[in-house]
Amino acid sequence: MELQDINYSKNDYVETASGNKVCRQTVLCGSQNIILQGKVIVQAEAIIRGDLANVRTGRYCIISKEAVLRPPYKKFSKGVAFFKLSIGDHVFIGERTLVNATDIGNYVHIGKNCVIGRRCVLRDCCVIEDNTVLAPETVVPAFTRYGGSPGAYISHVPECQADLMVDYTRSYYQHFQPTKLI
Amino acid sequence: MSYITGPEIVKYACTCGLLKPLPELYFCRHCSQIRCSFCLCHAVDSFFCGKCSENIPSAEARHKKNRCANCVICPSCQQELSTRVASKGPINPDDAKSAVKKSYYLSCHFCHWTSRDVGIPDQPSATGCWPERENVHINRLQEVLDVYQDIMLSQQQQKENSKKKRGKFVSYTDRTGVTASALRRRIGIPDIPHAKIKKPKPLDPAIAKSEVEELPEDIFTEPLKLMEITTIDQRLMQPESQPLTVDKLFPIHKQLTIKRSLRCRTCEHNVCKPEYNPTSVKFKIQLFAYYYIPEIRFVTVEPLRAGQTSELIIKFTNPTQHQTTITIFDLDLEEQEKYVEEQKLFDIIDNFEQAMSLEEKQQLSLPSLVMSSGSQPSSMYSLQSRQPSVIVKPRKINQAVNCNVAIPESTFILPPRDDAAEYDDSSDVHNIEDDPKLVKWRKSNKAFIKLAVTPAADLKIDDEVVCGFTMQHIYTNVIPAIVENMPHKYDHKVRVFFRLGKIVGSE
Repeated sequence: MELQDINYSKNDYVETASGNKVCRQTVLCGSQNIILQGKVIVQAEAIIRGDLANVRTGRYCIISKEAVLRPPYKKFSKGVAFFKLSIGDHVFIGERTLVNATDIGNYVHIGKNCVIGRRCVLRDCCVIEDNTVLAPETVVPAFTRYGGSPGAYISHVPECQADLMVDYTRSYYQHFQPTKLI
Repeated sequence: MSYITGPEIVKYACTCGLLKPLPELYFCRHCSQIRCSFCLCHAVDSFFCGKCSENIPSAEARHKKNRCANCVICPSCQQELSTRVASKGPINPDDAKSAVKKSYYLSCHFCHWTSRDVGIPDQPSATGCWPERENVHINRLQEVLDVYQDIMLSQQQQKENSKKKRGKFVSYTDRTGVTASALRRRIGIPDIPHAKIKKPKPLDPAIAKSEVEELPEDIFTEPLKLMEITTIDQRLMQPESQPLTVDKLFPIHKQLTIKRSLRCRTCEHNVCKPEYNPTSVKFKIQLFAYYYIPEIRFVTVEPLRAGQTSELIIKFTNPTQHQTTITIFDLDLEEQEKYVEEQKLFDIIDNFEQAMSLEEKQQLSLPSLVMSSGSQPSSMYSLQSRQPSVIVKPRKINQAVNCNVAIPESTFILPPRDDAAEYDDSSDVHNIEDDPKLVKWRKSNKAFIKLAVTPAADLKIDDEVVCGFTMQHIYTNVIPAIVENMPHKYDHKVRVFFRLGKIVGSE
């Protein structure tokens, strides 16, 4: 199914020189620790907690409305430590999803209303279905589709997932256009 | 992103007659046919653990029963367990400098099950060494296994003997490696039954007991505690013990994941071969239909009404580096039927020819067997004794079509894919003359096509509308072996089906 144009009001979004489109109604804590590599879309009411640790995303990432990116922590005997959260290229994060992972690979699709537990590792080309709850410290191998609560293996992902995700995130970026004033 | 989440609107027909979305199809360059996972030969390429991403050699995987030696999963919720530290305080409290003694236990982050719940003692080291539970029936199982192995060996021996009498094929390799008798024949020693293989010893049969333990008295008086009883899933995760109560659950080793390679059954070429590294998503061989067959995507359709014509817009994308011309034909399902019939006929002819040639060969080779000395000819047979893979017979396409597509008279051209065009904002100049009735709009290697569809007049409201057509595109074959001067081109036809949605009421 071909994507339809997604329009936004030009006043609500800031576009950077590298092509990042970030909504003004987002909460970006510790913005000096947040790196968006370019052509990244951060939509309304998303929260990125850069104040806890570094957050780095690759190119062509889509962070949907009300998604929360929060670097994971680990308890040690002497207290807690936060780890950086890195996200690869061409990653889609659905609406109202909470991401606590340490590492998300390239070409990953995460659905709506998911909880990605603390210190999860999502390898390249995996798919997390809508409404999944991944237990902390889960590793999702490449080319697998996880779903349910607790998140478990459901099926195999077609081998050309990388190309599908590149095509999807690119066309999403192209269709994400400001409303034209008439 | 209908391929990942949404409904599958467009489906392509595989050569075998099954309908699949394009990303799930493969294209064998050597047969120039579409293949799907049902008509390909699957092989396990490598085993690896999904958690620690460690490659495990197949022999070790078999020995470990396809489970990872280090990673364990929770017996209660099947999530991965992690090790936790429990410090016990200094060994001798008087000496402040003495090191804190650490011990480790397993715990599940999801359901908070811990190895302490079932009384597994804490371990002094973080990695592995978790106590394994002995299977109470291990001796009996081993006995049964041994007997079956003996039976297998003796049957193999018998089979070889009977084959020898017929003097045709010798199976040189088996699950147990090169057979002893084959080796003997090769080095010219007369084939005698192996001394070691004797008649399998019969097993003491299991004895049925009529006396069963009486039910304990308190089963009627004790209140039932459902929280202490395991679920069916939990029991089946541990088939050898099948614990009834939660205090007998034991951590389970994590099952391994595989990388698979796919092979065309007709020409035996690989169509998909992944790289060895478990975390890599690259392929050594990747003949996916997505890279060779023009992709069709559904864009919009006017509201569908029974018997009335609506406009359907679809998008064609050329994924290849070569220009192609697309022609749309009628969906000729009879042709597929004919193809199925033809294949059946071919099969019969093939079988007949095979039988004939075998007979001829035998007649020819029999004298030479006598002439030549020793085992030479028989070793030549071994070259032919490779088992042919089972070829999936094509079947009829099982999809009813209830909507007519007006077949356009003209064809259209799709320019080659150009990755640089993504970054090139200059105007799209292409000197392609299009039929304005057919092509609505085009950009680089994509074209939006208008088609008129008419759902059948007898459809009711909320009936699913399915239409289809045959797409012919020019396929450019670029296998290095074939290419001499020019890539060679020919027409390739695919049947495509659309689920357009439901009939809506009249205006």
